Parts: sequence; C-alpha cells; structure tokens
Amino acid sequence: MTGHFHPYHLVDQSPWPLTAAIGAFGLTAGLVKGFHNSNFNLCFIGLFIIILTMFQWWRDVSREGTLQGLHTNAVEFGLRWGMILFILSEVLFFFSFFWAFFHSSLSPTIELGSCWPPVGVDAFNPFQVPLLNTAVLLASGVTVTWAHHSLIESNFNETSYALLLTVMLGIYFTILQVFEYYQAPFSIADSVYGSTFFVATGFHGLHVIIGTTFLLICLFRHTLNHFSSNHHFGFEAAAWYWHFVDVVWLFLFVSIYWWGSCLFSM
Amino acid sequence: MLRNVITKLSQPARSLIQQNISRGAAASLARGYSSKAHETDEEFDRRYEAYFNRPDIDGWEIRKGINDLCGHDLVPEPQIISAALRACRRVNDYALAVRVVEAMKNKCGNKEKEIYPWLLQEIRPTLDELGINTPEELGYDKPELWLEDVHDIH
Repeated sequence: MTGHFHPYHLVDQSPWPLTAAIGAFGLTAGLVKGFHNSNFNLCFIGLFIIILTMFQWWRDVSREGTLQGLHTNAVEFGLRWGMILFILSEVLFFFSFFWAFFHSSLSPTIELGSCWPPVGVDAFNPFQVPLLNTAVLLASGVTVTWAHHSLIESNFNETSYALLLTVMLGIYFTILQVFEYYQAPFSIADSVYGSTFFVATGFHGLHVIIGTTFLLICLFRHTLNHFSSNHHFGFEAAAWYWHFVDVVWLFLFVSIYWWGSCLFSM
Repeated sequence: MLRNVITKLSQPARSLIQQNISRGAAASLARGYSSKAHETDEEFDRRYEAYFNRPDIDGWEIRKGINDLCGHDLVPEPQIISAALRACRRVNDYALAVRVVEAMKNKCGNKEKEIYPWLLQEIRPTLDELGINTPEELGYDKPELWLEDVHDIH
C-alpha cells in the first residue's frame, strides 16, 4: 500500500513547514515592532498563523497514522523518541529558570535588603492556594493514568470520562493560578523576586494550558475512535507531557513557593 | 563559639571588657544538634574564616556565605567577621561590608547591648584598616522614613 518495502514514513509534500516559518517570522518580527512602536498586530498575525499551522500539521499527522495506516512500529518508535527528546529539552528550559531563582535567592543582594523574600515583598502562603494547586495536579496525574489503563483494557467510555476529568482539573488549575496572579500583592516588576516568580510560574502555566489542550484533542480524537487499545501513541505523548508539567509544578512548589517564602536574611 | 561568653555575661557585675573568653566548656553545653554536626567550634570558625579568606571569592559567594553563617544559632567570632569584611574589600562592595556589620549586630539578638559593643571593639582594627563605617556612624540604625510598615504609604 505504501509502495515501498521499508517500514518508515516518507512524508508527502506539505505546505505547513513553510507556513510555520512565515508565522514564526511574523511572531518574532512582530514582537520587535510591538516593543518599538507599541503595535503588536504583526505579532498577533504571526501567532495566529502558527496556531493554524499547528492545527493543520498535526491533523495531517493523525490522518496519516489513524486513517492511512502509515504509523508502523518503526514510525511509532521514532515518534516516541521524538517526544522524549522534546520533553527533555523542556526540562532544560525550566532548569535555567530554577538556576536563576536559586542564584538570586541564595545570596540576596543589598538592594533587596539582603534577605529573601526581599523587604516589602509579601510572598504567598504556600499552604493556601499553591497547596490546592498541588493537589489538583497530582489528582490529574491519577485521572490521566486511570484513562490510560481504561484505554488499554478497551473500556472506552471510562477512558472518555477519566480524560474529561483530567482536562477539567487542568482548567481548574489554570483558573486558580489566574486568580492568584490577580490577587498577588507583587508584580513581575518587583525586583528579581517578581522576575523569577512570574517567569518560572508563568511559563509553567503556559505549559499547563498546552498540556490541557493536548489532552482535550486526545479526548476529541478518542470520541472519534482514533485510539485502539494497543495503539494510541498520541494519548501516551499527551500523558507524558502532562506528567512532566506536574513534576515541574512540584519543583516550583517546593523551591519557589515553600522554601522561597521562608524569610531568611543576613 | 560565643555561647560560652553569653553564659558568663549572665552573671551580673562582670564588666564586658574584663571577660576572659575560654572555649573549653563550650562542648559540655547540651545542644539540639542533628547527628551530622560533629564539627568542633574551632573547626567551624576555621572553616568559615578560610572560606572568606579565599583570594578569588566573588560577591555572590560572600553573600551566600554570610547567609549560611547567619543561619546558625550563634554570634560569629570576630576573626570570621574580619575575614568577611576583607572579602568585601576585595570585591569592592562597601555596602555589603556595612551590611555584614549590621547583620552581626542583628545576630546578637536580645543580648545586643552586651555583645555588640565588644564585637565592634574586636573588629575595630579591621574597620579602621579598611575604612568601613558602622551602620550607627552612617545613621542607618534609625529609620530613614518614619514609617512602621512598607504598606503605610498613603
């Protein structure tokens, strides 16, 4: 059916890499224009093009896999390693923000009052909303695992139910974090405390939104019967990404929210 | 460390300047240490003094060292403080040097009146050599703005 006698997938011609490049250029040049001229229109156009591209590119991937049968074991092997390496690159991305946080908090400068949290900064009580957020993400880890096991056991109704719960928990986390951001007595401009806090938790929140979206797409695909009990790598990739997001949160909670809120000074 | 001095200070009618600091009895005081802390007082002092005496120490490491030092339940020995002040001189951070003196004053806790003047007396040669003013000489022992709380600005 493929016309070749090897198990690999030589993809058809596609316009999406080109549109992705156009979108990326629009996004980056748009940011420059936005910062210089306070006009972010080009930036939004670029972002919109990128989002459309992602939708169409990945729709093509699921068509090639689910409907055209092109995802052989060899191809799935490649996809697995691709996802693993991508998540690894994201780990390194967050590592840099944790480095920045510890650099600043282990040796607070004079300008902060030589203490952490800095003088005048009211840190969040880690055992209020942040602890709830921790519980929400841990619970979502349980529900996504439940969904996976249900899928493996061909219990497709329960898979949908557990996946829906996972997505709802992800949305709940996002709502809680937005609420916290709104309530925060300090902003990103409040010394290096604000910078490290909002950049680290902000990128994490973005990853939660991405992960929730990925899981939601899996839910839709599942209702269209794309997944079988033994071939559902898209779902596994989403679950891996979701666990990664959860682990990053645990590190954020322990280091920035908990350890970083205890006043220590010289 | 100075916990022996503190014990002696609690005896009234002893003038601070006539103290004879001896360290022998320090180890006999009961402390709630974890099993890991098997360092003697002298080793502790030497370790911190050596840390601050490193010729290539940088500002980050000095601040980290002071933070760690202040995390312990003790008033650091004058030689450690002097080593820290000299480290501040090497990295050209005058503000940090003044802050170090202020932090040591804070570490005296509720025995500040007894310990701090003695401490200043002990580090006075280093202060004079490096030209460091104490927080009191700079007026930093009084509030700069007459606000009790950072949120009191209306």
